[in-house]
Amino acid sequence: MSPGEVGGIMFGIFGALIVLRVPVAFALGLACLPIFALDDRLTPVLILGEMTKAYNSFILLAVPFFLLAANLMNAAGITERLIDLTKCMVGQFRGGLAQINVVVSMIFAGISGSSTADAAGEGSIIIPAMRRQGYDASFTVAITACSSVIGVIIPPSILMVVWGGVMNVSIGALFLAGFIPGILVGLSQMAAVWIYAKVRGYPVYARATVGEFFVALGRSFFAILSPVIVIGGVVGGFVTPTEASVLAVLYSLAIGAFMYRSLGVGEIGQVLYQTARLASISLFCIGTASAFGWLLAYYQIPRTIIGVLARYGAGVTSVGLIEAAVFLFIGCFIDAVPAIIIIGPLLAPAAQTVGMHPIHFAIIGVVSLAFGLVTPPYGLCLLIDCHIAGIRVSDAIKDVLIILMPMLLALLLVILFPDFILFVPRLLMPKFV
Amino acid sequence: MTIGSPGRGARGPGFFATVLRGYFRLLQILVAALMGLMIVPVTLQIISRYTGLIPRYIWTEEAARFCFIWIIMLGAMIAVREGTHFEVDVLPTPRTARGEAILRLTVYLFMLVFALVFVRYGWQYARFGYTQTSELTGMNLLFIHGAYLLAGLTWVAFLGERIVAAVAVLRGDESALAALRGDPDVAR
Repeated sequence: MSPGEVGGIMFGIFGALIVLRVPVAFALGLACLPIFALDDRLTPVLILGEMTKAYNSFILLAVPFFLLAANLMNAAGITERLIDLTKCMVGQFRGGLAQINVVVSMIFAGISGSSTADAAGEGSIIIPAMRRQGYDASFTVAITACSSVIGVIIPPSILMVVWGGVMNVSIGALFLAGFIPGILVGLSQMAAVWIYAKVRGYPVYARATVGEFFVALGRSFFAILSPVIVIGGVVGGFVTPTEASVLAVLYSLAIGAFMYRSLGVGEIGQVLYQTARLASISLFCIGTASAFGWLLAYYQIPRTIIGVLARYGAGVTSVGLIEAAVFLFIGCFIDAVPAIIIIGPLLAPAAQTVGMHPIHFAIIGVVSLAFGLVTPPYGLCLLIDCHIAGIRVSDAIKDVLIILMPMLLALLLVILFPDFILFVPRLLMPKFV
Repeated sequence: MTIGSPGRGARGPGFFATVLRGYFRLLQILVAALMGLMIVPVTLQIISRYTGLIPRYIWTEEAARFCFIWIIMLGAMIAVREGTHFEVDVLPTPRTARGEAILRLTVYLFMLVFALVFVRYGWQYARFGYTQTSELTGMNLLFIHGAYLLAGLTWVAFLGERIVAAVAVLRGDESALAALRGDPDVAR
């Protein structure tokens, strides 16, 4: 069979099955079966072998641990403390609570590596609060969901862990490279909020005093210290990303159970269960996506793609634009984790051929896929926040698209100026960049 | 959650539903326990590297990975009964109970094919694992390879429960619709 035929069969069946609402993880595995039936050299046992190989990775262990740390922080009531703190920072601007929403997401992104934890944790508190102050439901949901995507852009980041693990890129360097894009995306959202607030006359808070700021800072100080331990530990070479994620878990446990005294044994058991089931849904996808990706590589489909791109004389910027378009499109339909595993290796050789930096390539992918968390039909953060607010996705979609415009501009800057993105990792981890 | 149409004998579906619910509860407890347990070996690894309190155990990484693979597979089993595996809403949701039952039945039958692949080849894979031992801990690899066979069998059971509910709806028992949509206690 030619690469084109195999690719056509696999993507065709996969597409048809997900339209029918077969779960993505199952659709990926089912799409491999006809190829195994047609090719005598292959047997479906290979699916199981590839899954074991994918799961047998110490790096991926960081995924459930980062999610656990985020969920523990949420259960410990960190959001209220961060809201109080950011109120003293941006509350006096027009649309104060919406600005707070964005800034809390940026700070929480430094504590957690998960956007869905932010969408659920912050959303459940700030969405009702914004509604009480008279913000429109659709704007409230849109800004909460859009700001939660910063969770996987500002380090630590579960997507960067998966990317680094699958594509062999330094996770520490990826973490550092996420700072500037994350802040850019946050600023682009604050600009959008500012315009919305002017047009719609959203409320403001009275300016906080310096004293109030320091009181709020003291109350959330230990939570804000968490990124220093995690990022510092990885970048300084003291711990591996997996060990750092466990430190984050232990630190969150200590804060919740002893410092804030808001976590009991019952809550911890619940958080363990919820984390395990949520993490395993994505992680299970890693297995079947790896089998799918392995089969594509077996038929040398990535090489075919380089050939196609080479014909158009692609350079760094055009490969970056193509990559962003592909990930934005695929991110509408599937979760970011299987998207990385299937599409990442397909495009990586093309990026290498045009001399694109692997970290630049990774950051474009992560940011594009992060945006996929709010693009329907499959935008997990949007689904979560619509559920919290009790509105339909179709009600929120217009405001999401408006807020996405400045965010896409931030992505364009990331694509156009690799040196800008690579500045922080080059400064702090020169060996790895 | 009760499934199966009334009038098929009180023992039949009721008994199986109770067994499956108990089994499901067991899986939930196991996955939460393993999640907590998985923290231990990685913590030991950090402690042993930075303090002299405990020796540098060689088994920590492997123990953590063993918990990891079982968490994933147990979670994948749980998610089939909860109906929480990621799926995409491109098609509009059917308006009638019958339409919904037909759509869900189609999905479950495709999932059943994949479950049966896990049973058939999971058996082969488990037997292959039985002949091997881990280099680090001397553990028989059946304990890892067996996860796929167990997942396949569990999926068949959980999907069977759903397929029975879908057939009941098609026969006109609309009370089975709730069972078809997934566990009502689970926030999606």
